Amino acid sequence: MTATRAAAAPKARHAPAAGRKGVLRTYWPQYLAISPFYLLFLVFSLVPVLFSLYLAFQRWDGVGDMTFVGLRNFQFLIKDSTFWLSLYNTFVIWILSTVPMLMLSLVIAVLLNSNVRFTSVYRIAYFIPNVTSIVAIAIFFGAVFSTNFGLVNVVLGWLHIGAVPWLTNEWTIKLVIAFLITWQWTGYNAIIYLAGLQAIPTEMYEAAKIDGAGPVQTFFRITIPQLRPIILFTVVVSTINGMQTFTEPQVLFGGNASINPDSGGPGQAGLTAILYFYREAFGNNDYGYGAAIAWAVFLVILLFTALNWRLVQRREKEAA
Amino acid sequence: MELSRRRLLQAALLSAGSAALAACGSGSGSGADAKELTLWYWGGGLSDKVVADAVKHFTQTKLKPSVIGGDFKQKLVTTLNGRRFVPDITGIKGEDIASLLVQANRFIDLNTLGADKLASQFVTWKWKKGSTKDGKLIGFPIDIGPTAMFYRPDVFAKAGLPEKPEDVAAAMSTWEDYYAAGQKLKNAVSGTFMVQDPTGIFQFVVGQGAKRFIDESGKFIGDQDHVRRAWDLSVKPIQLGIAAPYAANDQDLFAVAAKGTTPSILGAAWRALDMKSNMPDSEGKWRVAAMPGGPANYGGSFLAIPKESRNPQLAFQIITWLLSPENQARGFTDAALFPSSPSAYALPALTAPDPYFGGQKTIEVFGDAAQKIPVQYEAPADAAVSAPFINELLNVWTKGKNPDSAWSDAVSKAKEIADRQGGN
Repeated sequence: MTATRAAAAPKARHAPAAGRKGVLRTYWPQYLAISPFYLLFLVFSLVPVLFSLYLAFQRWDGVGDMTFVGLRNFQFLIKDSTFWLSLYNTFVIWILSTVPMLMLSLVIAVLLNSNVRFTSVYRIAYFIPNVTSIVAIAIFFGAVFSTNFGLVNVVLGWLHIGAVPWLTNEWTIKLVIAFLITWQWTGYNAIIYLAGLQAIPTEMYEAAKIDGAGPVQTFFRITIPQLRPIILFTVVVSTINGMQTFTEPQVLFGGNASINPDSGGPGQAGLTAILYFYREAFGNNDYGYGAAIAWAVFLVILLFTALNWRLVQRREKEAA
Repeated sequence: MELSRRRLLQAALLSAGSAALAACGSGSGSGADAKELTLWYWGGGLSDKVVADAVKHFTQTKLKPSVIGGDFKQKLVTTLNGRRFVPDITGIKGEDIASLLVQANRFIDLNTLGADKLASQFVTWKWKKGSTKDGKLIGFPIDIGPTAMFYRPDVFAKAGLPEKPEDVAAAMSTWEDYYAAGQKLKNAVSGTFMVQDPTGIFQFVVGQGAKRFIDESGKFIGDQDHVRRAWDLSVKPIQLGIAAPYAANDQDLFAVAAKGTTPSILGAAWRALDMKSNMPDSEGKWRVAAMPGGPANYGGSFLAIPKESRNPQLAFQIITWLLSPENQARGFTDAALFPSSPSAYALPALTAPDPYFGGQKTIEVFGDAAQKIPVQYEAPADAAVSAPFINELLNVWTKGKNPDSAWSDAVSKAKEIADRQGGN
């Protein structure tokens, strides 16, 4: 979330002619006006981020003295099968959630953009999951998908399909987590797409109509290309969020249990990279190793964002 | 005009800032004449009623209790690092005590305040759990979690198994006997499973012994016979087909137990509270008997006095008052905190028959168990090192992984973690 906010933060515009000092002297009230953001960002984001980088090269149990261990944490990380498993889990859950989520969002946005009645009611309804507490949702989904007690299996029972052990099987665990994320973020993305759709000039659609384009052609030839920057934005945000999936598996698989908490369930199928980081740092008091995991995840996110960017940019060039 | 408005704004900001700083400073003063003492605990960690009475009882200071929500250990550790606003008395959860004993210099050795004279009033193993290797007492025992077996006599009867607690305890005194009874049950009542959770058995068998995963010299001993035995005993019910399918959460677990499908639940004394709230309709159907293979401990916490405490003597007085046998008995009634002081076991709050267990006096089972729990050394990395065993057991249980390869995977992963956390 922090990264998203940082990206959306207004960039200070420098007056080209004035020097550094002159800028400050001229624009200090403006800087002062936006200072709450960067001061808070400095104290609560930048300093901890830099501290965690420092920590990644230390051994620290959270209270006692730190010892410098050089690259030892990273050496362990490379060989740590659990870390690679957690990255794999994160990717699978990310794909399982992002692909249906963005498609569904686009469809919902297009529907909302057409002339239906009570649009604002729908908009609010689709947005509500996004502002609901994830912990509450995860507890609710945990109950709904539980094997013997869950609503889903009761319905399956009515249809004479046997009970599915949703939270036992490696793949269904991932599906449940992905479903939860999809449920929560579809509305958010739909609202963003809707804003994008409304920015597309109606003349384009009119011209297409005159040229004899059908609704499907219009969608793929006008709507999608025009939405490309918005799609890039949602893909990047979903990547950043998806790589940081944490609360859902934490709550679903007994984060409060005192025996083996935050394990990610059977087969550690729900152990995401951030959950693993949390478990090592805050559960097992190995803050140095936790920081190393966090930085490794950061590099992965960076790589993926760059990849997304290149992919969409190239398409844009091709289209041009 | 504009300039003066700016000045005004500047001045206002400055004064607001300095006021905030001043406020930060004044709250944390470690003055000798402490007018107030702070007490940190988590919801259910102490009896709220006893705490409220303590506030009234200690008139020489203002006792300020705070129920800390969220990740308690993390908030405590953060505050200890800040060395400001450190509570004068703090709770420490059982699972965190091992990692904080290593930081003994951040707490006051309660023996220097006279705790050593009280040692005989508490169960020995728990007292040792709160002490460092060199005998400093850091954590004063609040409650303990002696384990037992909760069972359904009506289901046992269908399989011709004994029904009375003494008979059950005698007939299932070892794990092997328990599993044999499980097979009998499976044959008599199809679709029932004696064992609810093999990973729990692993923890309990380890808890019944004298050694855990790391010895006092910091050496990894998780690959030795005592752990292998716990592993084999946990795998056994899976192989015999007497282990229930995995349940991801308590609702699921109790939905099955309420139907009688899993007629025995292994757990600590406080598990009774979960049973009562999750299976309210089962009142009178359950009984308690001694756990196969002897008792273990699961859960239970401590009170400690950080170094920064403003009045350690008084803080210690408050602790001993909060945890007197009478108040421990009240804690049992209010918050299901099982007393760490055996003299509380004779008090009416504990000896009263429990209607949920058909009027059984459960203290006869738990009180006995509490005093037979073995002394164990628990290393700070113990929980981290034990995790691979639980994860691999889950693989055997839910994915049918070969137990031998699961064992060797668990051992190599545990070694890796011990190596990393050991720091050498």
